[in-house]
Amino acid sequence: MGDSTNRILQRLIRRIPYQMLQTMFGKWAHLSREDLHSLDFTQPKWVLTEHLLALCEEKGLTVKHITELEMIYIIENPNQGMWHGFQLLDAEEDAPSIELTQFKEQFKANLTELISHVSIKIKKHTDEAIWIRVAWGDNFTKPYHLKPTYVVHHLQTPYVFVTGVTSKHKPLLNQALVLATRYGSMKDAHLSGRNLTAIRDLLMRQYQQVFPTKHPKPLQEKNPVPRNPNIEKEQAENTENRLQMACEAFGDGTLPQMQKAVYKLETKFRDNSNKTLTGREEPFRGVVEFASTNLLESLRHCVSSGMASTPVTPLLSSITQKGRNYFVITDKGV
Amino acid sequence: MEEARKGLLGHLNMLEMEANNLELQQQELRQRGRQEELSANLQALLSKRDQLKVEIKANTSLQKMRTLLDRTGVPYERNEDVDDLEDGSDNSQLLLMMARHTQLKDLLHAHHLIGGYDVLQTRKGKGVCVSLATAYEGVYLETYNLEIDLGSNLRICRHNIPPFIPLERLVTQGNMQTDIRDFLDTLSQYLNAYAGRKQQLHLTKEIHSSVQVAESNALCTILVLMFTIPGEKAETTLCTLQYADHTQRLPTRVNIESEDTALASSPQWKKNQALLLETPLHTALVTMKKTGSIA
Repeated sequence: MGDSTNRILQRLIRRIPYQMLQTMFGKWAHLSREDLHSLDFTQPKWVLTEHLLALCEEKGLTVKHITELEMIYIIENPNQGMWHGFQLLDAEEDAPSIELTQFKEQFKANLTELISHVSIKIKKHTDEAIWIRVAWGDNFTKPYHLKPTYVVHHLQTPYVFVTGVTSKHKPLLNQALVLATRYGSMKDAHLSGRNLTAIRDLLMRQYQQVFPTKHPKPLQEKNPVPRNPNIEKEQAENTENRLQMACEAFGDGTLPQMQKAVYKLETKFRDNSNKTLTGREEPFRGVVEFASTNLLESLRHCVSSGMASTPVTPLLSSITQKGRNYFVITDKGV
Repeated sequence: MEEARKGLLGHLNMLEMEANNLELQQQELRQRGRQEELSANLQALLSKRDQLKVEIKANTSLQKMRTLLDRTGVPYERNEDVDDLEDGSDNSQLLLMMARHTQLKDLLHAHHLIGGYDVLQTRKGKGVCVSLATAYEGVYLETYNLEIDLGSNLRICRHNIPPFIPLERLVTQGNMQTDIRDFLDTLSQYLNAYAGRKQQLHLTKEIHSSVQVAESNALCTILVLMFTIPGEKAETTLCTLQYADHTQRLPTRVNIESEDTALASSPQWKKNQALLLETPLHTALVTMKKTGSIA
């Protein structure tokens, strides 16, 4: 194994937390049971790394095998790094009937045509998601494996999630994806975050949405449990209305764990009490950022408890309705 | 003494007369009060009776209009043998609208009862919410909803239809603006077919644990199954089912591959192939197990 391969393996082991190492190696098909037994997981990490390096050297493992391990680790723990959502537009006639092998071949062929030195690995996960790992080189150097790009795509949906791509390689990746999925173009969905499951659930609407129905309240029993007659909720109807509106805007049950929403303002300054800023022609540039450990849950609570006024302003409900968390607000609207 | 007694008695007489007078006056007052009360009641009841009479009249003409509409589908102006309604043409237009409204509501209710879609008004008439129910083999599966904005152009503001159903394509192809029934019928077809295919796969996984699913996709249009053939050799056969028509629950192509190359062309497996094309997956597998084709 070359020097660079050693370095890649060392970096990877350093990245994986100690507790996960054993399970990761178990999933990696290149270490046999005896090898796993021979590795002592009670030693400090650097000792283990040395041991592992020697083992891999013995087996003659190459970069390809090590990248497999990296892919396994990232698929199990996707919520790191910054993921960006993209939407594919203008589907062609045969876009809905694309199948896996076709997509794989097309993508590989397209990307290798655009850049000759790339290392591509495509894997299909059990939940129908296709994971692609791309390591970029250019016309003269071999692919650089320490900064790979990961792409997640669900076949027959127009959404793609990407992490770790530089602006130099972005148009090439876009073109390869667009051609392989038989769409016309790809645009930024203005949705990004560290938590891949959250942005994927938001964009593909995999959380529980609430719609107006004929019977919004559950059926009442004929002999209800006697409630305390001294307590009467005066605002019961209002509370119910607010809860219904909050759930319609944001969803019911567990919501995707979004962490940030950014609103970039390019509107004119309107408050007349500030003499220096009123009356200027240029728009007042400001950025409003909402941050939370679970943003949608907190917004829903704001609405249902009355802190935010109802009906829910479209600025907030656009987060779930349009599946975005970056908005530019001009005087004409969002 | 006599005079004093006479004076006292006279005084008492006078008081008695006054008391009688007062009592008479009070009785009169009471009677008048009751009279007023009763006449007010009478007025209220009379006006209520008139109101009810008007309502009955309106309802009967509405019923007549509705039966005419149901029977012939034609409004009464063009039909000559109808009792004359004294109301002017505005009222008859209103009645026609009301009759159509009740007809439409009944139609929607019936549609909802048979498992089709249901439409609800939202936001005080500015939007509608359509709920499409899906069912397979008599079991209700998921319900999908569409919220449509009623402006000069119909616009879908939100929905919970999964992203692999081509909603935008159906909107443009089905001409949602002009023929919403067509669009909803096609969408319902797609959703029901998808729910049916998904349910078949789910039942197959549950009932037939010996059959392994090698590949499937989210839209359930491609399925690769692995069968084990009973016998000493216990070979495996790969069966690929392709559902090219997304509005159907049955596959359009079935491919059988096996290590034993003669297997696919044997008459029994040709029959199995035809069976898989014509019956739903889980029932076909039951038959195949009975005939001993698969373990």
